[in-house]
Amino acid sequence: MLFSTFLQEGPANTTSFMIAGYAVIFGVMLLYLISLFVRQRNLQKDLEVLQDIQDEQE
Amino acid sequence: MNPKPRLLTVLDIVTIILLLIATYMVFFYAPQEAVMGDVQRVFYFHVAAGWVGMLGFIGAAISGIIYLIKKDRKWDIVGLAAVEIGIVFIFINIVTGSIWARPIWNTWWTWDPRLTTATVMLLIYLAYLMLRQGIEDPDRRARFGAVYAIIGSLSVPLTYFSARIFRTIHPVVIGSGDPTATGSFDMTPMMTQAFMFSLFTFTFIFIDLFWHRIRLGQEADQIEQLRLKTME
Amino acid sequence: MSEARPVKSLARENSSSKIVNFIRAMGAVVWKDLSAELRSRELISAMLVFALLVILIFNFALDLDPATRREPTITAGVLWVIFVFAGTLGLNRSMAVEKDRGCMDGLLLAPVDRSAIYFGKVLGNLLFMMMVEIIVLPIYSLLYNVSLFNPGLLLVILLGSIGYVAVGTLLAAMAVQARTRDILLPILLFPVVLPVILAAVKASTGFLDGSEMDLIRPWLNLLIVYDIIFSAVAFMVFDYVVEE
Repeated sequence: MLFSTFLQEGPANTTSFMIAGYAVIFGVMLLYLISLFVRQRNLQKDLEVLQDIQDEQE
Repeated sequence: MNPKPRLLTVLDIVTIILLLIATYMVFFYAPQEAVMGDVQRVFYFHVAAGWVGMLGFIGAAISGIIYLIKKDRKWDIVGLAAVEIGIVFIFINIVTGSIWARPIWNTWWTWDPRLTTATVMLLIYLAYLMLRQGIEDPDRRARFGAVYAIIGSLSVPLTYFSARIFRTIHPVVIGSGDPTATGSFDMTPMMTQAFMFSLFTFTFIFIDLFWHRIRLGQEADQIEQLRLKTME
Repeated sequence: MSEARPVKSLARENSSSKIVNFIRAMGAVVWKDLSAELRSRELISAMLVFALLVILIFNFALDLDPATRREPTITAGVLWVIFVFAGTLGLNRSMAVEKDRGCMDGLLLAPVDRSAIYFGKVLGNLLFMMMVEIIVLPIYSLLYNVSLFNPGLLLVILLGSIGYVAVGTLLAAMAVQARTRDILLPILLFPVVLPVILAAVKASTGFLDGSEMDLIRPWLNLLIVYDIIFSAVAFMVFDYVVEE
């Protein structure tokens, strides 16, 4: 279908799909990185709370 | 908390640089494909993401085996990290596969062997997480996770072969024609270079994220031990 | 918890008596399940009723004209959906009973090879599944006016059931120990057992529409390979699933 329609007219205009594809690739990777950072920070906070409790216990 | 190793920081920087170069190559170095146009450029990172998904799978299976042999909790953390990263990148692989399919074959989904296998991998990954979630005892959770990772990674190649045989015996016409014919394109040397470099870059991305995620897991584990101690 | 064996059996152990003990242990497990089931008939009746209901639902859900309904592809597909879902019921129940009544702990204390217990369970589950299949086939045959008395088909059903049950028993042993027990087994099992189902359906279709053996053989090979691989792996790994 693609061949016959576009044989004479050059490559298909699929730029919007390319943009969508890369949006997904970088977007999802970025989201995962953010999730890692957020979880790291939460662990840091938990650690501080636990260390306070430990200090109080001593 | 463990201090961040210098090597990891170096790795972070190297990975980011590689990714920048790869992105440049994909958008500017590689030529535009004659028939499909720009969407073909998605192919480079689509396959690379699938490659990372597979690395995650293999990593989960290997750490599963090692865990069962050595019973060292560290390997359970490694396995979970591998699965998590695998999920992220297989998801990217599936969605970009779908986005690529749409303009080429006029459908959002093709049941071709690779896309089908990727979906099955995602389902097995998710099942792994759900299995772990339903088990309280950490030791049992680790054991079961390891067993399921091994079973899952054995079945995926078989699924792939089944889907391949399905294709050869029953060539299905999807959209305009045989998917392998219209979907394929000849790679010029510059495209091949961009492709190989993408695979190389994403391997680094995998190792980098893997290391970070393992460290996160170890810290979570240490905090859990600490929590149990202080609550006594 | 390691394998504790009474001293006397250690003294007299040689390979043939090991095998005999193994088979005896297996048989004991199978007999335990079979006799319990023969008395209560809970499991088989549940699986059967379920299978019949699925046939009924398919009749209305896929409202096909009589000619299409008898197509090999439809027949193979519907049959395997029935077996897969009824099989899940059987697997769940079979392992849940062990856990709830604490039989598993008792079994594990016995001085037998753990894998004998595993294979005993697999065989028991296989027998239950085949009992259901043997009843469903003639009923389906009757309701849809299609002959299912096809030795190739029966072989495929056997091979497929073996693969299904080999993995299913292992995964059911895990699922039953989780909080989300009932829903977890299908989630764990279906993605992993996909190659079996695909091969079984294609081979069944092949036998039903009289295709040449050359077309069917790849699927049969896949089934056999799957059965062997997963039986072997499950055997090696079962210990880790039941240890305390």
